[in-house]
Parts: sequence; structure tokens; C-alpha cells
Amino acid sequence: MSQQTLADKVGVSRQTIFAIEKDKYSPSLEVAFKISNVFKVPLEEVFIYD
Amino acid sequence: MDLSYKEKSLIASLAVTLLVFGWYFLQFFSSRVFGHSNEFTFIDMLMPITLMVVLEVIIQSLLAGKNKEDERDALIAASSYKNGYWVLSIGVWLLLVQLLYVASGGGYDILLDSSPVFISHLLLLFFILAEVSNFITQLYYYRKGV
Repeated sequence: MSQQTLADKVGVSRQTIFAIEKDKYSPSLEVAFKISNVFKVPLEEVFIYD
Repeated sequence: MDLSYKEKSLIASLAVTLLVFGWYFLQFFSSRVFGHSNEFTFIDMLMPITLMVVLEVIIQSLLAGKNKEDERDALIAASSYKNGYWVLSIGVWLLLVQLLYVASGGGYDILLDSSPVFISHLLLLFFILAEVSNFITQLYYYRKGV
């Protein structure tokens, strides 16, 4: 899945998805849950708290 | 370098602000050196403001992107306004203290010129510096993360 496709499904910009992947931005809970729902996996499998 | 629409918009706004007001303040403060600062009127001050608004409208419409603001854009905008607020607050307080000090009979006028024209231009300068600080902070957050 491309960043743009994921961004469209979640409702944010492609640059925001890029920033999340590069650890330059921590998304809100709402966006985090939407991302995990897109991939149909639990939140803990997508995001790890260091 | 992959720049988002928002970053391009910020760079354009920063460039327009620096060009228009940089030119204007250069004109004003250099004329002050030669003792002609009182020739600048309210209309002269409106000119760069009007010019900047027109240029901003043109440039932003040319850059118009399809993306609406998302939560990251809103967070960066909110975080960057703090820096602009501090720049403006410090400037206004400095001017207030100076004016009150001179008005109360204090002997030392660091501004060297307390005319309304000069004071108003200093206030405008601090407004513009606050805006520039806002743009630069936003660009920093877009590049480095927030």
C-alpha cells in the first residue's frame, strides 16, 4: 500500500504518514486507531512506545 | 527535497514578507539616518501591507493544493504561534517601557527618536518579526518534526 493510499484512507496528508514513519510525528489516538484498522491488526502491532 | 504544499506556501509567504517589508524598512530606517523619517505617512505604511496582501493572494492561489489541513498541520501552526507571540510581546514591552520612561522624565532615550511615526514603524517591525518567527518555526517543525 502506498503512503498516499494510506493517507487517503486515514484522512491525513501523505506528508503526515511520511512523518509518522520517520518518527518525526506522533499521531493522535484517533489517527493511530484508524491506521491499525486499515491494516486490520491491533494497535500494539503498529505502534510501539519506547 | 520533497516539500509539501504547506511548506511551499510557508516559504512563499516568508519570501514575500521579507522582500516587501525588508525593502520598506530599509527605506524608512535609512531615511531616518538622514533625518527624513517624518516624511513617511500612514498611507506610506499601508502600501507594503496592501502589496503583501495582494502578492500573498496571488501566490497562494497559484500554489493552491488539494490537501486540507490535517492534525499535524494544526499542531505545527499552534506550536509556532507561541514563538511569534514571544517576539511580539518582548518588542511591545520594550517600546512601552521606553516610552513610559521618557514620558516620566527619564533622561536617557535609547530610541533616539520617540516621534509617533518612528514608534509606529517600530511596532510594525515587531509585528513583522513575529510573523517571520512564526514562518521559520513552522518550517523547522515540518523539517525536524514536532
